Amino acid sequence: MNNTFRCVSLTASLILFNFLIAPAQNTYVAKYENSGVFAGIEVGSKGVKMSLLEIDKNARQTGSFSIIKDTTINTDFISFTQSTYLSTVGALNTLYDVAVKDYKIPTGNIFTAISSGVNIQAEKENKLNWIDQLINAFRFNFNEPERKVTVIDVKEEARLSHLGIVPDSRRYNTFLIDIGSGNTKGGYFPNGNIKEFKLFQLSWGTKSVSNAAEKKMESDNSMDNYNRQLARVLSGAENTEIIYAVNESGSFPMSDNVAFSGGIAWSLATLMFPELIENSVVPVTYEEVLGFSEKLAHNYSTMSDYYLIKAMGDKSLDMNVINRETKRVKQVFDQRSLMAGTGLLLKIMRQFESINERKNFYLVKNGSVGWISAYVNQNTLK
Amino acid sequence: MKDAKSLLLLLVSLLLVLVSFVLIWTWGYRYYTGRDEYKVNAKIVLTDSSSLASRIRDSLQKVYDETINKLDARLDSSLLNSDSLKAELEMKLSEFFRLSNEIRVLLSNRSPNNNFAVAKQKLGELQTKVDDLEDKNKVVETENNTLGNILEQLNKPDKTAEKNPKPVSPGNNIAAGNGNPVYAVFNATDLRLAAINMNNDNEAETSLADQANKLVGTFTVTNNISQLSNVEMMVVVLQPDGRVLKNSEWDSGSFNTPDGKKIYSYKLSFNYAKGEQKQLLFSLKADKYQKGNYTMQVYYNGILIGRVSKTLS
Repeated sequence: MNNTFRCVSLTASLILFNFLIAPAQNTYVAKYENSGVFAGIEVGSKGVKMSLLEIDKNARQTGSFSIIKDTTINTDFISFTQSTYLSTVGALNTLYDVAVKDYKIPTGNIFTAISSGVNIQAEKENKLNWIDQLINAFRFNFNEPERKVTVIDVKEEARLSHLGIVPDSRRYNTFLIDIGSGNTKGGYFPNGNIKEFKLFQLSWGTKSVSNAAEKKMESDNSMDNYNRQLARVLSGAENTEIIYAVNESGSFPMSDNVAFSGGIAWSLATLMFPELIENSVVPVTYEEVLGFSEKLAHNYSTMSDYYLIKAMGDKSLDMNVINRETKRVKQVFDQRSLMAGTGLLLKIMRQFESINERKNFYLVKNGSVGWISAYVNQNTLK
Repeated sequence: MKDAKSLLLLLVSLLLVLVSFVLIWTWGYRYYTGRDEYKVNAKIVLTDSSSLASRIRDSLQKVYDETINKLDARLDSSLLNSDSLKAELEMKLSEFFRLSNEIRVLLSNRSPNNNFAVAKQKLGELQTKVDDLEDKNKVVETENNTLGNILEQLNKPDKTAEKNPKPVSPGNNIAAGNGNPVYAVFNATDLRLAAINMNNDNEAETSLADQANKLVGTFTVTNNISQLSNVEMMVVVLQPDGRVLKNSEWDSGSFNTPDGKKIYSYKLSFNYAKGEQKQLLFSLKADKYQKGNYTMQVYYNGILIGRVSKTLS
């Protein structure tokens, strides 16, 4: 069994070596004068993710950390099959190896965790022993029986995401909402301390909204019909769940800022504000998202990198980066998924729109490394 | 005899033929000359049409200019009127308060020697002043309506301007957007950008880049046209290398200008009461400050309304 794992790890290492080194998006140049480099390896529903972080020694005050590397290997662990299990173990071992050998990160600075999505699905399917087996195999492979591999619950993940994404200066007036593919989760700190966290959850996500709309389409596969069905699905979601969830959260009077993370937030930030490609967070208004939603439905061709770059006033921007990111968005989300995610985002934003008081909305791009970076940060400060 | 009759008939018929030839020739000549006239006239009409068009254009331009001048004059006179009315109103109000004070003093002094006749007279005067103020109020309201109408006319989209868009210079406070022209109703004054050195609790201004811990910008905005809620002023601070200085990614963003999208360093949001001199302040912190020239630009509605520079050595 051990030999099998080593064999799988070695093969995966060889494949991943090129994968990790080739893109070289972020050069390993220290951003802060007084900092340390840490790695967080997370086993998620879709794959294993490694985030290499440079954390400022003053991170508690400034909330500053710099992402040196962010890599994901898709393994689909929650399918709970023998092959996805083996590829997950292989990816976990490989990423750990890369952190230690290639980036020379001390093992004490490497943190490993299992995400809440994996845990929830394992509980549902009565496969919790698969998680234990995965952790044991990883420990055994590196001969580290005492290595801590934490299984995070949904509330803790949302809390850590807030700590990892939102700076301290906005800690107690920001409501963070992560729109995932299958669900939406988030929350805020209602009582001025980081221990008490109010969790917010919706059973709708970008993909589930899109799937529900497509299911209603029957034989007419046209975009017009999709748009009509999408409006119905979103209206149903709003009336049956979103309004109540937002009201129940009690976040309206407590929050000045509402920040959205998740794939759809990253996509919209990239396509709507290519001039802010370097920013990990961009401010946005309800009207801007509404306008973008109209464009998606009726003028999708203007979403191409060519048009986006053409529309920009500042020619000093790095067009190659914009080009690359725009293409990445298009690879992850097609037109219909973008429409579904944007529609869901608008329905949530609408709950925070009022004549008397307007909230500041933000789209967070680096939400994917949010909780693991906070987990690393939290553990380094202990 | 028979021959003589035949000869006569022949002569008559020849005469008729001749007459008919003359008639045909005359008709033909008139027709021909008539066509020439048409051609000549047509030429004249063509020449006339271009000059007429230019005359019409000129007269339209004249009418347009006159209308604009008239509107400007009306606006100026209305503004002058409103200023003079304001002065007059203030004078009347001060008289009103003076009289009411005098009456209050007279009434409070209830000694038997008190001259209530004087008080009665003063009360009459006060009543007259109140009536005057009421009249003035009506005049002010009328003037306000006139001003509102003029502004409405000025803000109506100008079709000529849309057809022939002119480049917008940053100083003229007007930007032609996609639809109606946008007016920057605010003026920015007292712009100041300073580098601050923080030593424990003490803060001192510095001109040295190495000693600077933060940049503090201040400016005052005024607007005499309208009262606005949720006003957003964008501040762009350009570093010596031309890049925008950002405090935090949560504070910066982008906004539209006639020249395309721009990135702002800081956004200031506030409610504004008409005529108020609103002083605004912001600070930006960076890890390091470059040596050289820093430029602070203030935008409202995408239009540059103020600019100031600061050099750090």
